[in-house]
Amino acid sequence: MSFPPNIKRKFWGKLFDSPIMLASGTAGFGEELLNLNCLAGVGAVVSKAVSLKPRAGNPPPRLLETPYGLLNSIGLANPGVHHVLNHILPETSNLPCPLLINVAGESVEEFADVVSILESSNVHMGYEINVSCPNVADGGAAFGVDPEVVLRVAMGVSRVTARPFSVKLTPNGGDMVLSAKAAVEGGASAITVCNTFLGMHMDWRTGKSIIKRKVAGYTSPALLPLVVAKVWQVSNAVSVPVISSGGVSHGEDVLQLLAAGAQMVQVGTRLMRRPFAGAELMDEMKKLTGE
Amino acid sequence: MLSCAVPLDYDCLVTRREEVLPGVVKIFFQCEGIAATALPGQFVQIEPSPGTFPVTRRPITINSLTDDGFELLFDVIGRGTELMAVMSPGDTVRVLGPLGHGWMTDPGSKWLLIGGGLGAAGFQFLKDSVDTAAILIGASCSDRVIPLDASFVVTEDGSTGSRGLVTSLISEEHLSNADSIAVCGPVAMMEAVWKTIPEKHRHKVQISTESRMGCGWGVCDGCSIPISDGGYKKCCKEGPVFPGTDIDWKRWKEAGL
Repeated sequence: MSFPPNIKRKFWGKLFDSPIMLASGTAGFGEELLNLNCLAGVGAVVSKAVSLKPRAGNPPPRLLETPYGLLNSIGLANPGVHHVLNHILPETSNLPCPLLINVAGESVEEFADVVSILESSNVHMGYEINVSCPNVADGGAAFGVDPEVVLRVAMGVSRVTARPFSVKLTPNGGDMVLSAKAAVEGGASAITVCNTFLGMHMDWRTGKSIIKRKVAGYTSPALLPLVVAKVWQVSNAVSVPVISSGGVSHGEDVLQLLAAGAQMVQVGTRLMRRPFAGAELMDEMKKLTGE
Repeated sequence: MLSCAVPLDYDCLVTRREEVLPGVVKIFFQCEGIAATALPGQFVQIEPSPGTFPVTRRPITINSLTDDGFELLFDVIGRGTELMAVMSPGDTVRVLGPLGHGWMTDPGSKWLLIGGGLGAAGFQFLKDSVDTAAILIGASCSDRVIPLDASFVVTEDGSTGSRGLVTSLISEEHLSNADSIAVCGPVAMMEAVWKTIPEKHRHKVQISTESRMGCGWGVCDGCSIPISDGGYKKCCKEGPVFPGTDIDWKRWKEAGL
């Protein structure tokens, strides 16, 4: 690797002008952002999670802003894989950048089931396998902390698709390096580091959490050093590319993650404040590196 | 439903700031794009301050349009609105809008507006756009009655108008005279209004909702409002205004939003 890192990246055999991916859950399937003209500077979009059956999602409130970040408890709300395949994916065929579909499952088998149904679409480049959601009771992060389960999920997905897929890991418990190695052994073509950190807001007057599921996923610009460390650890341990996720609000943050070993860098919560973050981050990076 | 203009992210100049009631601020923004495209009941996502924090914007209903922009009227209820309240003339503020689906207005429709406290912010724009039969306002006290030229005002402590709740102002005459009924205020007030309105008039009712919001344009699924079929709709995109029959009051109250 050369330093400062190149902004242009090679990933999954394709050249990307931008290392920036929009993180799952913050960009829909890309079509809303296309309507807003927000995809300038974006290398790829990762869809919201798709599950076999429709999921209504968690009861509100689903968001709680804290002084320096955001707690979310969305609960993988999505209309289910069949609706996504028949009604949403056709709308994404004019996205100006590749689409990765984020896949959630309630059992080891369900990940491969969802992927095999999505195989009849040709609009997406690959998948991100979500073994790490902190906001669901059935499965979610429990899969990602056990390397044995991660291996079986990845092997199941490998069997039903020739498309590349990344496995998105959790920072909450387990050894991320062991889970990453298991994912690669199972056929993963990248590792996404990482899903949200478990967080909670306690109402000290009542002793209750405002979020109905009590704990939630926490994102914040302040997580940057934690994600940089995990990206550095995982990218030194596996042979496949690492996609970072978390902590990005400025171009310098993206460069730092690339220098730590990320091949691509996801941005999520920043879009809530700056829907045109892709273009803004690219401008900031180009100014810093002169590329 | 009226078709909505594509929202844009504008740098808006603050031209005026007024404290209309204690802790309630009205800020005027110059923005010809929003003035030309916004519809009553729509909102904007505003950056409360420069820099990185807070990490989300604040969704605020457009109170009314001006010749070259729009005005927001809001209550200081937390850190975001506290930051917004000190915006002053000459500041430039990033504003995304107009967003969401506002009041469903049919030409020629006569409106009854029912507002609770600061929930009536936004009624000015509706009132300027439609034929209004009557405006009924309830508030806790005179410090919470926003200037609106209401037909009838009641307060819980009797400091403006007679003492009482807004539901006491709702009469069969008001309901029969209206083709459309706009309701906006705290959830408990809106539910009380809904229950006061007899079944035969409920199809006319539109409810303006609010929620803790992430993106504001329909992608993050954070601002869900429980609806009567057991599911959810997005406050930011399918709302913020919904037909009253859509709302699942019990689940919405449980959310404690």
